[in-house]
Amino acid sequence: MATESSESEEEGKITGGNQHLIVEDDLREMGKKAAWSVSSCKTGNGVSSLRDDNLETYWQSDGAQPHLVNIQFQKKVKLQLVVLYVDFKLDESYTPSKISIRAGDGFHNLKEIKTVELVKPTGWVYLSLSGNDPRETFVNTFMLQIVVLSNHLNGRDTHVRQIKVYGPRPNPIPHQPFQFTSREFITYSTVR
Amino acid sequence: MEALLVNYVEKSLEQYMRRNAVFLCERLYAEFPSEVNLQLLARCYLNNNQPHSAYYILKGMQMAQSRYLFAIACLEMDLFCEAEAALLPVPNGAAVQYLLGIIYRDTDRKNKSIEHFRKTLSIDPMFWAAYEQLCMLGEAEEAAVCFGDATVPCVQEHYLGNASSCLQIADTDHSSDSSQRFGLEYLSRSDLKQREGNNIRVMCENNHGGPILTGAVRQSKNSCCSTSFLSTPSPVPTQLSDVAPPPLVRNIHLRQSEDSLRPNTQARGKFACDNESAQIRGSLFFDSGLRRSARLAVGHRSLNTSQGSENKAKSLHASTKLSSETCSSTFYQGKLMETYEVAVSEFGATSSSLSSTTDVKSIQHEIENTKLSSFISDSATIKSGISNTMKLLRTLGEGYRHLCMFRCKEALNVYQKLSSKQYNTGWILSQVGKAYFELVDYLNADYAFSLARQISPYNLEEMDVYSTVLYHLKQDMKLKYLAQEMILVDRFAPQTWCAIGNCYSLQKDHESALKSFQRAVQLNSRFAYAHTLSGHEYVIMEDYGKGVECYQTSLHVDARHYNSWYGLGMIYLCQEKFEFAEHHFRQAYQINPLSSVIMYYLGTTLEVLKRSEEALEMMETAIVIDNKNPLPKYSKAKLLLTLGKLNEALEILEELKECTPRESCIYALMGEIYKRNKKYDKAMLHFGIALDLKPSIVDVAKIEAAIEKLIIPDEMEESL
Repeated sequence: MATESSESEEEGKITGGNQHLIVEDDLREMGKKAAWSVSSCKTGNGVSSLRDDNLETYWQSDGAQPHLVNIQFQKKVKLQLVVLYVDFKLDESYTPSKISIRAGDGFHNLKEIKTVELVKPTGWVYLSLSGNDPRETFVNTFMLQIVVLSNHLNGRDTHVRQIKVYGPRPNPIPHQPFQFTSREFITYSTVR
Repeated sequence: MEALLVNYVEKSLEQYMRRNAVFLCERLYAEFPSEVNLQLLARCYLNNNQPHSAYYILKGMQMAQSRYLFAIACLEMDLFCEAEAALLPVPNGAAVQYLLGIIYRDTDRKNKSIEHFRKTLSIDPMFWAAYEQLCMLGEAEEAAVCFGDATVPCVQEHYLGNASSCLQIADTDHSSDSSQRFGLEYLSRSDLKQREGNNIRVMCENNHGGPILTGAVRQSKNSCCSTSFLSTPSPVPTQLSDVAPPPLVRNIHLRQSEDSLRPNTQARGKFACDNESAQIRGSLFFDSGLRRSARLAVGHRSLNTSQGSENKAKSLHASTKLSSETCSSTFYQGKLMETYEVAVSEFGATSSSLSSTTDVKSIQHEIENTKLSSFISDSATIKSGISNTMKLLRTLGEGYRHLCMFRCKEALNVYQKLSSKQYNTGWILSQVGKAYFELVDYLNADYAFSLARQISPYNLEEMDVYSTVLYHLKQDMKLKYLAQEMILVDRFAPQTWCAIGNCYSLQKDHESALKSFQRAVQLNSRFAYAHTLSGHEYVIMEDYGKGVECYQTSLHVDARHYNSWYGLGMIYLCQEKFEFAEHHFRQAYQINPLSSVIMYYLGTTLEVLKRSEEALEMMETAIVIDNKNPLPKYSKAKLLLTLGKLNEALEILEELKECTPRESCIYALMGEIYKRNKKYDKAMLHFGIALDLKPSIVDVAKIEAAIEKLIIPDEMEESL
């Protein structure tokens, strides 16, 4: 995962960003199974630009702050990591500065789970959803909401170029409580 | 002029001057449009990879031979209905039955297909390809029956034909019949090496001789010459001096084409030399300037006689007419005889009286000096040769049948009985490798396959299985190397693309893997394994819909492909459709009842369906079948835990711990058991070890949660 420069208990400041997206092998992108929506957008810069794997296109909001990106799943999923691509050099006053992540069952009971302040980010920014407890490695939820509370230089609207959401890879062998680690077990576990 | 052109066309065909042959044949047909010439033209087209041309010219023709060629052209173009229509009424001959079997198999009429393959074997017991197909359909009888001693007289008859009733002509008969016979044997040999899907063209070439030969033979057997399957003989008397009949020439063509086609022989070294010598002899013959028509007429005479006594008189007459050419006929006989001798010596290698040396020239010399009459006395040699051949086929057939029914250990035993000459060939070693693969013994499979590759690096038949073995062993360097080698051999073989796909899949590049498998499918849509592998890739990418489609296509092609049944079962298990999953796993289990992995999954499904006793039974069977598979034991321990038999579960897990000490889930489960038994320190210990073995993040979370829960009761006890 990317290095995060400093992070205190509740609010963390993140400076810089990775040019490359490097994620651990046991994490899997979960966004394909979700319904994505945004609070507002400018024509031609809609929600699809957030998911098109193209860093040239971006979502531009078009309304009052805070700007929201809603990610809704059909069933509860374990999520571990949210990654955003934002670039101060390209977007300047459109670059988000304060971001909050909320989770819950639906719009009615979202609860904030993380707040982060970005300082001139230039690239992929990793926001881990884990708590300190090893039992809280994941957030098990129906819905995730990414809220852009404010932008750099007090801009009104925001640009976000890409968002990815990661959760743990499921056990390839269904209905096994634990995943297999040894070679012997894995060899016998599939027919190809 | 016609005769000249026919000669030349045949010569060009034999020498693989295909364009020459096609052009001249077209001119021949234009000048002398007759159905015989049309058949010759069709042969030229089929040889030149133009089945569509053959199709057009032969459409509507009624002669049996034309219909046969038409059916072959249709099959190459995948026009099954037309091929079927062309072959009714059914001409005689094993190859025709075989073609019908293939047509019915490819159009989902399994029972009829089986019937026809069985007929093929009864007409011609050495038709290995038919036996192979029966094995693949799961309906083969025991090899001892199909290739048994009872068939030896049948095969012998095919050879000897009318040797008892003829003179010199009979001898030529005999030798030419035997060469015909050998043509057929060789073609069945080469069928052995070739999957009909990929190489039907070659087989067709070979089979050209088939029906005619067997037809001729059958005629002689039945000793009636009414409605001759070979309609060519009827105008024969008039043609004696002119047109050379296609059939016999084809035999010679076959003989030599077989020689040169030999991709993967079983007595390789010796035969390679025979190859060259046969060709040298052949070219010598051609260059000798002897009239080909004479040679052909001689052969034709023999064919005639095989038709029955009626024509004999005419042919005798014909023979005296051409007696001036006796020198050519002797040479011809000599040539046939020496090839015959060489062939017999190959087959009767183990116990033949003929010297099976590499000095072919001496044999040639020897033969030219021997009297023809002594040839007949070699019938004893023939008999022993045949019985040896049948013995060989029996062993091979038995081994192959066992393997197709997944009785791998028996198959391995049977193959061990082969002589080391036969064993150390690409095909056998690949089969051995496949047997080990089915036994989940990947190391031995790797060894067998690598030997096979050393011996015949051009054989791509089971190399897709080899690539899967390497995939399981996670040896990506070897796998990449294999794929590269296969590309160099044949870029258009589906096995190559399967290997490439496995490479990509091992590197977790599932998109490219899928593309490669789809290419394999494009190259040969009847290659079931490519479909199965595509299905696997879709499942890994969690596209279950497409995965189901792929598996179903694979099952459509080959219903005994238990991997596809397994794949479908897995999809339904993931989608929680447990009844479906159970059904599919059970199908897989029925096809391959000795696979402990399938049993394990069937047991898991039963466990989820809460049929714990059945699940337990299944796991126990799996453990008995394959003691090395740790998964059923682990599942058994889990089941015992749910049934409350904690100590037994612990015993099993202790055993497993010895076998695979680095598997974290064993310790995790043991921790659970100790927790249930309230032995908290032991539970802690085991959870700790489980964590040390670096399980996945999810499991880390679970184990840590379990540890937390352990500590709380501890604290509660302390506080009390």
